[in-house]
Amino acid sequence: MNPKFVSAHAWLTGGAALRSNWLYMITGMGFPLSLLFVVGVLSEGSLLPYALAGGLISIVATNGIFTMADLGMFKFEYMFKDLIVTTRTSPMDYMFGVMLADFFWSIPSIILYFVLDIIFHIFTPYAFVMTIIVASLVLLSTASLAFVLTSLVKHQRFVWAITGMLSLVMMIFPPTFYPYTYLPHPILLALSISPTTPAAVLEQGFFGLAPTLWYMFYILIAETVILFLLAKYLTVWRER
Amino acid sequence: MIEARALKKRYSDGTVALNSVSFRLDKKISAIIGRNGAGKTTLMKILSTQMLPTSGTASIDGLDIISEADRIRKIAVSIPQEARPVDYMPAIDCVKLYLAARGFGRLKAKAAAEKALRTVGLGDAMDKLAYELSGGMKRKVFVAMAIASDADMIFLDEPTTGLDPFSRVEVWSAIRAIKGQVILTTHYMEEAQALSEDVLMIDSGKVLAHDAVERLLKPFNGLVRVESQRKSRSSYKVGNTWISYVKKGNAKAMVGRGDIIKPVTLDDLFIKRGVNLES
Repeated sequence: MNPKFVSAHAWLTGGAALRSNWLYMITGMGFPLSLLFVVGVLSEGSLLPYALAGGLISIVATNGIFTMADLGMFKFEYMFKDLIVTTRTSPMDYMFGVMLADFFWSIPSIILYFVLDIIFHIFTPYAFVMTIIVASLVLLSTASLAFVLTSLVKHQRFVWAITGMLSLVMMIFPPTFYPYTYLPHPILLALSISPTTPAAVLEQGFFGLAPTLWYMFYILIAETVILFLLAKYLTVWRER
Repeated sequence: MIEARALKKRYSDGTVALNSVSFRLDKKISAIIGRNGAGKTTLMKILSTQMLPTSGTASIDGLDIISEADRIRKIAVSIPQEARPVDYMPAIDCVKLYLAARGFGRLKAKAAAEKALRTVGLGDAMDKLAYELSGGMKRKVFVAMAIASDADMIFLDEPTTGLDPFSRVEVWSAIRAIKGQVILTTHYMEEAQALSEDVLMIDSGKVLAHDAVERLLKPFNGLVRVESQRKSRSSYKVGNTWISYVKKGNAKAMVGRGDIIKPVTLDDLFIKRGVNLES
């Protein structure tokens, strides 16, 4: 483990870079806030608390998935990955560095969502703590998936295509912006293949909007462990 | 010192990029020259532990590239071809980030990055975002990484490709400031002549020649290159041009016929060996 690299990467390409690239930060807010707006208007406000609870998951998942865009850019455009492979930095250090750098970019959106949660009276300290735990698992699982996929693709254009597909599968279909109780149980289980589904179900429970399905917690942990192990052992680091 | 023993690389599509290459490089600056697709970059990737060979092996200062890659990574630096500093980061942050990857602490990285950037002439531009830098300055950021890392072995893959002549000379100066052993690839023959003490010529994955520049050019002593549109005895065809070698004293007479006279360079070694440089 090279914590110097992880922290340097997170800060230099994330926190410090944020100042000169604030437009990207606004772009990152766009997708979850747009869905929040649409759901709020169409449901005449009745589903707004669900969208606010799931929106947090959506932001973190977007951040994890779009790690792939940065990993692709570092690999194909800047040749940065080639530069790092020949140092003693491990692939996991690299993944964590990029993941945390991207996380910096979503901090303003997360703060905004928590403020909205307070305004709409669904915020509780318990929900806050549990959200941090669930969001961390979502971030790690989506970033791990992004890391494996980026190491396997041969060109940046595939990265854009895959991130588009993943956004659809992980953000639109799962109950991140609507009550999970709308879904028949078999479909809910089928959708649980995406870590955002168990995360969103848990969030709705933590915010007191629906019963908490604790088995979803085990599903989320299992998926995170599997995706992390895939990232650790399946990623192509030294070219063959 | 680098020692390669029967290095072979066959890609999954069947392309043989390196075909049982063996050599030893122990000079301060060595150049690997060859046309595009000769196998230079593959060789650099293998030597710098970025890629595994299909068979054969090599050692860097006695460390095996396959089984001791981690120890090599401690002493060697590799700057890939076409690497670019991250656009939205200042030059100094790019160097600091690379040094962090090599295990430097924050303060040590900052001091080493500043010093190296000044050495390569980027003292006034170190806080500029990378996209504001010229092509030459961007390449110098990478040379600064190599200098700041204080490594024993530096691999530079085509460090001046795409740069204007002035920027190339600037980068050459920066390369000369590197302390460790430097292995660079290039297809600019004058670059190899200007910088390196010995030259490894490769083509189609094989070593064509390996020697000091002066010794490689010895067969051409007293000769100049004549480029003509007409075929003559013992001339070589490169595209639509016929190339021959004549004594300097005999060359003057040929100028009046419209032929072009040029000094001999390492290019001529490839021409003499029948390698078409046109593409």
